[in-house]
Amino acid sequence: MRHVRGFDVVRPLSIGMLVFMMLPLVFLPLASIFIFGTSNGLDKFWAALMAPEAVFALKLSMATSFWATVFNVLFGLFAAYVLSRHNFWGRNALIVTISLPTAIPTAVAGFALLLLWGPYGTLGRFLTPHVEIMFTALAIILANIFVTFPLAFGVIKPVFDTMSRSLEEASATIGATRWQTFWHVTLPSLRGAIVSGALLTFARAVGEFGSTILVSGNLAGRTQTAPLYIFAKFNEGQIEAANAIAIVLALFSFLIFSVLFFARDWLDVD
Amino acid sequence: MIGWTLTESESVKAKEQLIPRPAEPAPLADPSPAAASVVGLSKRFGKTSVLENISFDVAEGEVLVLLGASGSGKTTILRIIAGLEMPYTGKVILHGKDVTELPARERGVGVIFQSYALFPKMTVEKNIGYGLRIRKRKRKEIRETVNELLALVQLEEHRKKYPSQLSGGQQQRVAIARTLAYKPEVLLFDEPFGALDTQTRVHLRREIKALLRKVNVPSIFITHDQEEALELGDRVAVLYQGHIEQLGTPFEIYNHPATEYVATFLGAANILDATIRKDHLEVGSARVSAILDPQTFQDGDCVKIVFRPEDVVLSKNDFLRAGAAKIAAAHIEEITFVGAYERLRLRLERGGEDCGHESPYYLTTETPESQTKAIIATRPKPEAAKTKLQIGDRVVVAVTSFTVLPPAK
Repeated sequence: MRHVRGFDVVRPLSIGMLVFMMLPLVFLPLASIFIFGTSNGLDKFWAALMAPEAVFALKLSMATSFWATVFNVLFGLFAAYVLSRHNFWGRNALIVTISLPTAIPTAVAGFALLLLWGPYGTLGRFLTPHVEIMFTALAIILANIFVTFPLAFGVIKPVFDTMSRSLEEASATIGATRWQTFWHVTLPSLRGAIVSGALLTFARAVGEFGSTILVSGNLAGRTQTAPLYIFAKFNEGQIEAANAIAIVLALFSFLIFSVLFFARDWLDVD
Repeated sequence: MIGWTLTESESVKAKEQLIPRPAEPAPLADPSPAAASVVGLSKRFGKTSVLENISFDVAEGEVLVLLGASGSGKTTILRIIAGLEMPYTGKVILHGKDVTELPARERGVGVIFQSYALFPKMTVEKNIGYGLRIRKRKRKEIRETVNELLALVQLEEHRKKYPSQLSGGQQQRVAIARTLAYKPEVLLFDEPFGALDTQTRVHLRREIKALLRKVNVPSIFITHDQEEALELGDRVAVLYQGHIEQLGTPFEIYNHPATEYVATFLGAANILDATIRKDHLEVGSARVSAILDPQTFQDGDCVKIVFRPEDVVLSKNDFLRAGAAKIAAAHIEEITFVGAYERLRLRLERGGEDCGHESPYYLTTETPESQTKAIIATRPKPEAAKTKLQIGDRVVVAVTSFTVLPPAK
């Protein structure tokens, strides 16, 4: 807001200050990944990236995140439908419980899963000789599901809440079954929410570290995800190897973020 | 409900004679069997009763309007017929078939929601074809039906548009076409003009009326707008607190209201106390001759008479035009110019007795204003120009027609 005509010194000053504050906090850390990662030449970077364990870690991250996303989107859709269509005793308690996992420290989440499914866990001890859940890809998926549990639900539920009931009632009076109504009327209105919910879940799951390191066992080439690989290689002093994967993960999150940011209009198009 | 038209009357002393109002348009010679009927419908939400013993029929091709204020239960009736709500007791019958237990999708009714409820992610033609697509009809058949309906509602050039790109009126036409596609047993309109401005409303009302004549599907409208009800309905049911106050043609309910509520809900109405005498009515000190059904009315009964502002004739002297019966004298309290006519508020002068007790309605110099009775009269432009009246003028008030409400039980 300018009260005096002419050059206003506050404007460039405040913008400059904002950028300056963000520099050491956000911009420089991100930039240094790219600077260091490529400082020994692109061929070194490429070699580090193509190391079998690195490729495996990336693939494992993508696969486990994918299945966690599929589950959480379907679950979020179902939970949002139930919780916005029906009013019942304990409804709010359920909503809070679904939202809780984001507030729980990821290490605690991983620990909790260990206590349940681990070899001496509440349920795990009955499975132990026959089925092993912890320290497998399944454990990683479970951890991912837990920590990203409310994300898709949180995006989908508000859309359900604001959706006019008369659309579904109209569909029913026209002669549609519940399933036809859901497929032709409800789901198309949720398209945007489903896509953004899925992207959010996936992005969060790919980066998950705290719970994964506890439940996966961090076995290279078997249960080591990309963030764990970065951590392991860094500890071994192989900075280039860690850096190559870090660049890939950073670029990947930029990509998802841009899709969410720029495709918002497309996702909500009427 | 009993009504009269006064034929001749020169003055209060002159002999007054009343003959029945001219007969209203004759009902259809052969009333076709009901296309839709509800029988003894009642509904409760918890302990609150929202509908009590509602019964009516809608004939083939007929338009029935359910008219009532908000909370009168009209929407609930509509939702019960559509199958979106279960009645507490009673039946819904469509073309002779009891559908009370059927879910909405198996009833084949067309509902035009107030918000139109068009599917936002489907184009106009997809919306219209929806009912046929879910019925797994052949593509060719769907295309042909959609084309026909687009032509009927004159939206051919908008077929590829989405609902959000259409005006309110166009959206409504899409909504109607969407229900017509699957040949509904009955069309239900839920306050279809509620969200529109007055001009569009009136325009759409006429359009829809013409459209309904063309497609000849029995229809039930709900509205709180009395003008809309009178214009659209072949018959109108006036609802009040969950029951039908009166069901009749627009002519009947406007001119012969059965209850005070109906009288006042359908536009401005003046209501005065009167006493039944053997061959006449006593309105204050005035005597108005009337032939009354002795079954309903007994000598000495306290009744209310209802007349519309346009039924009032004013005269500066006792000479009244033929067909008007004097009921009181009054002075003019307010004159408002309302475009097509002039509206006057008249404060009645005290006179006579009213139902055995002295009427508090009539004015003396000592009576506080709040305890006297005012009536509203309207005069068309030519008459207002011919006989100029001013505030404070003393006039003779006469009526050309009125209705006597049955005595309260």
